Amino acid sequence: MSDFYKINIVTHDIYRLHDTSGDKYHPEKPGRITSVVEHLKKGMLSTNLNFIEANCPEREWILKIHNNNYLLRFEEACLAGKEYLAHPDNRISYNSFEAAFYSCGSGLTSIDYVEKQTDGVFFCLSRPPGHHSETSLALGFCFINNVAVAAKYWQEKYNRERIFVLDFDAHHGNGIQASFEEDPSVFYASIHEHPTFSFPGTGYADDNGSGKGIGATLNIPLKPGSGDKQVLEIMDTTIYDALERFKPDAIIVAAGFDAHIDDDMSGLAFSTRLYGEIGMRLFVMAKKFCDGRIISILEGGYNINALCNSIETYLAGISIKTGE
Amino acid sequence: MYISEYMTKDPLKINPDLTISQAREILDSKHFRHLPVVDDNGRLLGIITDRDIRSAYPSSLAPDEERKRTLEQTTITPVGSIMSRVLSTLSPDATLDDALLFFRKHIVGAIPITDKENKLVGIFSIRDMIKAYSNIFGLGEKGSQLIAVEDDLDKKNIMSLIVRVLESNNISFTRIMRTGSRIYIRAQSYNIKSIKAALESEGLNLIERKVDV
Repeated sequence: MSDFYKINIVTHDIYRLHDTSGDKYHPEKPGRITSVVEHLKKGMLSTNLNFIEANCPEREWILKIHNNNYLLRFEEACLAGKEYLAHPDNRISYNSFEAAFYSCGSGLTSIDYVEKQTDGVFFCLSRPPGHHSETSLALGFCFINNVAVAAKYWQEKYNRERIFVLDFDAHHGNGIQASFEEDPSVFYASIHEHPTFSFPGTGYADDNGSGKGIGATLNIPLKPGSGDKQVLEIMDTTIYDALERFKPDAIIVAAGFDAHIDDDMSGLAFSTRLYGEIGMRLFVMAKKFCDGRIISILEGGYNINALCNSIETYLAGISIKTGE
Repeated sequence: MYISEYMTKDPLKINPDLTISQAREILDSKHFRHLPVVDDNGRLLGIITDRDIRSAYPSSLAPDEERKRTLEQTTITPVGSIMSRVLSTLSPDATLDDALLFFRKHIVGAIPITDKENKLVGIFSIRDMIKAYSNIFGLGEKGSQLIAVEDDLDKKNIMSLIVRVLESNNISFTRIMRTGSRIYIRAQSYNIKSIKAALESEGLNLIERKVDV
């Protein structure tokens, strides 16, 4: 008998057609997905993997977060052969709009499966990432806010009223925060490198939501150089307590792996092993607080080698059978 | 960098004949902490603060008789008699540095801004100061990150070199600060790999944050 639960990887071939190679140093490239697939198939979890193709989401779900004119502008820019949307960081190609839809679709597809009581854990191996994008703003390689749309979908399609989002990407997910800043039903917790140093320059500890949403945003900035010790303490105290107080119906993880020590996109120094520890804790917490309803959606992670190993370790952690 | 950009222009002001209780009502209703006091020609006479007003009111521990008497006094005593006479002010063309030095020297929460005829034209509070500096340092501005480059005194014109490299590579930036052995750049981009490649190609060294704890 295997030591791991089934690991459902929700992905799509079209992600490789979102081409950013016009900038030869662009870190958000198709190889991020293809390398991880190859790595996982050869690795220790290979017999536990189940690949699922992401569906294309109905536009109405994306419109829960984004403005229609923005989507039209985005599509038009891709079809017209523009090199980027709004800022040279956000490189696009002919298929980027479609890829971004399917990237968002990976979260919604996972939720459908979770709600059908499908066995195993769910990881959305998708790109482009989403957590920096806002209603009418493409930012930091992100176009459609995959996590924010997924949170709305889970609430409105399946009546899971209280969604807890944990974002452990090295960068603050300004777009997720902006979507739910005033909404007490979605709790946004983010562990990221301190905004004084790091992109996008938001996510100070002082930001804790606004209006009715005060208290449902939790920003935990880390000093450059921070690593496993700080994060494990935060997971075991601050995050655990926040989950216990919030009592979620489901958890969405904005899983970015660019805080890894070998990833030069941040000044954080997480080890590969840390991602396994985070995974194990999330499995236990999801079971305890929301009947195991949890999905993870890929955000950043740009050092291919570190990304492959970190995702594999995270998946091992979140799917390991603990002998209950 | 001038305080005139950040001060409250033409602020609410009062006449010295206003009573203490009337001044209190204004401070409370507007949530102000300072009220400048001017004469009929708009010339600055003094400033009244919420603290001055509080001191004029009876202590909650005072005996009833004394409380009543002091409360009555606040309805007839003019603010002119308890206001702080202002000796120092700044002019609208003073800089933020002038204001910073002013706050360091005088224990006050706001500076009256007057023209050459001592007419009140604005008020500049510590809150305005915080706003101004947050703005200057780009606090919370979305879409940027701080890059540190090693300063190299042997490299001629290193500051202009940095600007040239950034501009020729279409990397937008809003601030460059030289402090000690480092030069900080606030770059409006997420793509550190491109920034690094551009700066390093000109022999500039980026300082890794990972080892910077």
